[in-house]
Amino acid sequence: MDKPKDITTAYSDALVEIGRAFPNVVVLDADIPDSCLTEPFYQAFPGRAFDLGVAEQSLPTFAAGLALVGKIPFYNTFAVFAVHRGLDMLRQSVAYNRANVKIVGHAAGQSLGYAGPSHHTLEDISVLRALPTITILSPSDASEARQMVWWMAEYDGPVYLRLSRAVVPAIHSPDYRFQVGKTELLRDGNDISVFVTGDLVMLALALHDKLAAEGIGVQVVNVPTLKPLPPEEIVRHGRKTRAALTLEDHNVFGGLGSAIAEIFAEHLQKPVKRIGIPDTFTESDDCEVLRAAYGLGLEERVSTLRKLSKCQFTMR
Amino acid sequence: MIDIATKTPLDPQRDAALIRQLELDAVTARKKIVEMGYRNRIRLHYGALMSMVEIILTLYRCWLNVRPADPRWNARDRFVLSKGHGAPALYVALWMREFFEEKHFDGFRRLHSILHGHPDRHKTPGVDCCSGSLGQGFPVACGMALGAQMDVAAWRVYALMSDGECNEGSIWEAAQIASNLKLDKLKVLLDRNRKSSYGWMKGRNDVEPLGAKWRAFNWEVFECDGHDFVSITRALSDAEAVTGKPAIVLCHTTKGKGIPYIENYPTKPNILLTDDKYAECLAHLDAVEQELRNG
Repeated sequence: MDKPKDITTAYSDALVEIGRAFPNVVVLDADIPDSCLTEPFYQAFPGRAFDLGVAEQSLPTFAAGLALVGKIPFYNTFAVFAVHRGLDMLRQSVAYNRANVKIVGHAAGQSLGYAGPSHHTLEDISVLRALPTITILSPSDASEARQMVWWMAEYDGPVYLRLSRAVVPAIHSPDYRFQVGKTELLRDGNDISVFVTGDLVMLALALHDKLAAEGIGVQVVNVPTLKPLPPEEIVRHGRKTRAALTLEDHNVFGGLGSAIAEIFAEHLQKPVKRIGIPDTFTESDDCEVLRAAYGLGLEERVSTLRKLSKCQFTMR
Repeated sequence: MIDIATKTPLDPQRDAALIRQLELDAVTARKKIVEMGYRNRIRLHYGALMSMVEIILTLYRCWLNVRPADPRWNARDRFVLSKGHGAPALYVALWMREFFEEKHFDGFRRLHSILHGHPDRHKTPGVDCCSGSLGQGFPVACGMALGAQMDVAAWRVYALMSDGECNEGSIWEAAQIASNLKLDKLKVLLDRNRKSSYGWMKGRNDVEPLGAKWRAFNWEVFECDGHDFVSITRALSDAEAVTGKPAIVLCHTTKGKGIPYIENYPTKPNILLTDDKYAECLAHLDAVEQELRNG
């Protein structure tokens, strides 16, 4: 495995790369270019990056205006504000206009653990899945994040990039190619499918290893695109196993788990167990501590998977 | 049809014929608007529509550099109707500028039409931005003006907003950013009829003093009679000359202007026109037209 690299640094480096390749790429910030690691872009391309100040609801509208006159704006702030502060602006001015705006939500999920629930983003996937025209991407490591940024610059349409703060080892081989709407089989297994997105891929891989020792085959499927999510991309994996489990640093309502359950209900009729954050505002602490406390701990999930492998869940 | 954007103030003597034509156009526009509501049996924001007639006609007949045959022409001036509920008045102006044929009014607000309830850039030729959620068109226009500034473009960005819309916090957030960024390619017109949807704003949801507020946000502010073509073009011309900061024209208007039944309507005039009232509106507009033609 390569040296671990944090996803935000990968984004920051890729932003400068696409800045060189695409003269129309513009960067917008709302007073935290330091946290979003966009400063290198300001240095590389003065006159193409603008800090609007503490004005998050103006990010989607200004970006929409720039896009409508031919720019490719990437706007940056913490995910919780990037999506929710200007949600009506995102709906009306970005999505409805189908403006070529790139929404970059930083420190998504519980990345900003210590800051508490005001800074956690556990509803963004759910909310944006319901907005027509928006593509939702969630990278699991640095390499995938970099490839997504390139794809975003090339694609004409609004895209949300959900960035975790996590420092994760490179899980992809150098020949991995991200393709929008495609899933990626990371580990094979014949008993249960684990569908996972973002840096929680690490948890899924750990689950695979732990249960392999017990003779339980866990198939790990990375879901880097949350929308569009063609059913066949899920069905072809789901067919192979008895049941599925989903993992996400997001409210259990409306996110990856819901998307997978919808597809399973319509196409496979097999049990799906959704693991995410229960419908609650959590607390302040280290991100991993919070994840473990609220349902994303390794040991607890090993036991869930053991039960699932025997299909002891009752369908209600 | 006058089809040249001169961007010069109208002169009452020199341009007397043009001014009279514009005044006749304003009557035609008002007729068309009440007809759109009446024929389709739809409630329209008649008050807000009548107050912007002269402003929108000035833009599309005398000011905006656009090509109806090539609506997405790259070097066109951009226009954003931030008060999106004014869409029917915008549609009339676009029709008069020959962006589309009159027959399209038959399908107004119906399935498969090119004319929707609020501006939709995907459907209507000449519309540059979807709008309808108040407080958003203006900031989008700011973003467009930033793009124009980056490109050192010759084209300008125009937006029409309402005074009621100034209740929206997003307006002031964007106003502050626009002056910080020195967006001098942005020229905004504000339809100042002193009423929001629910009625008079004074003592309720007051936004005045608007001039002082926009000046405090470091904008260059001009004022005009929003129902007088000469006055509007003079103010716009002054706004064009501003550099180093954005400019706004406060257009003093009357809600429901030009049709007494609507102007004097006691509550919010987004009404369904009855046969009688439609006939009454048309009779008044016919009389005004006759008076103009008699000179």
